[in-house]
Amino acid sequence: MASSPDVPSVGNTPENPGNGSPSEVPQAAATAAGGERRGRVRARRAAVMAVPATLVAAGLAVLTAQGALGVQFAVSGMPFTVTATELNGTGFEQFGGLDNMAEGSPNAGDSGGQVLVVTSAIKNATLDHLCQSVDLGGTNLLITAGSGATKVTASGLTTDSTELSGDAAFNNIEIGNDASTLTKAGVKGPIGVFSQQADTVHIGNLRQTNYATTAGVFKLPGLKLRFSDSGC
Amino acid sequence: MSDRARRGARAAFRGWRARRPFWGGLLLTLAGGEILLTEKASLKVVMHIGMQGLAGYLLPTVMALLGLLILFNPTQRLFYSLTGVLVSLGTWLTSNLGGFFLGLLLGVTGCCLAFGWLPDQEPRVSRRTRRKEERARAAAVPEGAEGTAA
Repeated sequence: MASSPDVPSVGNTPENPGNGSPSEVPQAAATAAGGERRGRVRARRAAVMAVPATLVAAGLAVLTAQGALGVQFAVSGMPFTVTATELNGTGFEQFGGLDNMAEGSPNAGDSGGQVLVVTSAIKNATLDHLCQSVDLGGTNLLITAGSGATKVTASGLTTDSTELSGDAAFNNIEIGNDASTLTKAGVKGPIGVFSQQADTVHIGNLRQTNYATTAGVFKLPGLKLRFSDSGC
Repeated sequence: MSDRARRGARAAFRGWRARRPFWGGLLLTLAGGEILLTEKASLKVVMHIGMQGLAGYLLPTVMALLGLLILFNPTQRLFYSLTGVLVSLGTWLTSNLGGFFLGLLLGVTGCCLAFGWLPDQEPRVSRRTRRKEERARAAAVPEGAEGTAA
């Protein structure tokens, strides 16, 4: 399989250099390119891999956009915005914390590389009209999903946010727990920190500025990834 | 003196580059680095998520390693590029949609270049020179130069 594709393009692939290649063509070319023999990419051979790889990549993108395939996210170190018209979740926890940026991160500014954040963890969440944007300096990378009939679902969603706004409704909320005793979403905070947890959560018009987000599995039906001048 | 040394280094680099799928390996290494850059999740969170979160780091690291191996051990490029293209595609699922698509694109392109690379080829002939030669040959033939053509 590996050797077959270069056979048909015999025109200029002589195996051994001395086998009397057509005289005029190489002579002229040799003077042009300095006359040395270099390794080089054969287009037809590269296409043998490029075509299936493109097909598989397209397949993955389509499956993700249909919500059939879950993808994982782990982002941090740069602020990004997440909005959704509606968030419904079961198993909700929230506590304060401190995020450390990577050593010498250009985003650190005068903050000394530390940001005070609110960590929210939701065990299972569905989001309507999810929009996520990262400011790349001048242009924004925009990811939208879940605008159609099927919603975005995420499990094991953990976000560290500096700003969180929306219309929230909690069910069975316990406020003022110690963050190290949380049970609802399976994440434990540092000991001695204020926290709250609830069985279910509903947030309308959610808007978050996040520094880190991780999700075990994200299903993104109707995924669109594009660059845009304005964020979410 | 220093000028000649620099030219020597450049020629040496040119020769070194000629003996390996340079752009393929470089692109794959860069792609792995790019995906790792978009992640940067704190290790605590990764530990919490467990094996799945770890895969998000493992795959781009493997990509970068394969890129370096393509550069420094080009004889095994077929295996490296095949593994590389699979791992690159896998990052779509594990690592931020393949570093927001950019890393995935670079990685797959790099692997295709490494896969399609062959050592010891004739120097490239540009399409224009090839066409010119063809025309010259076509012009020469009617004058009765067939005997000396080959």
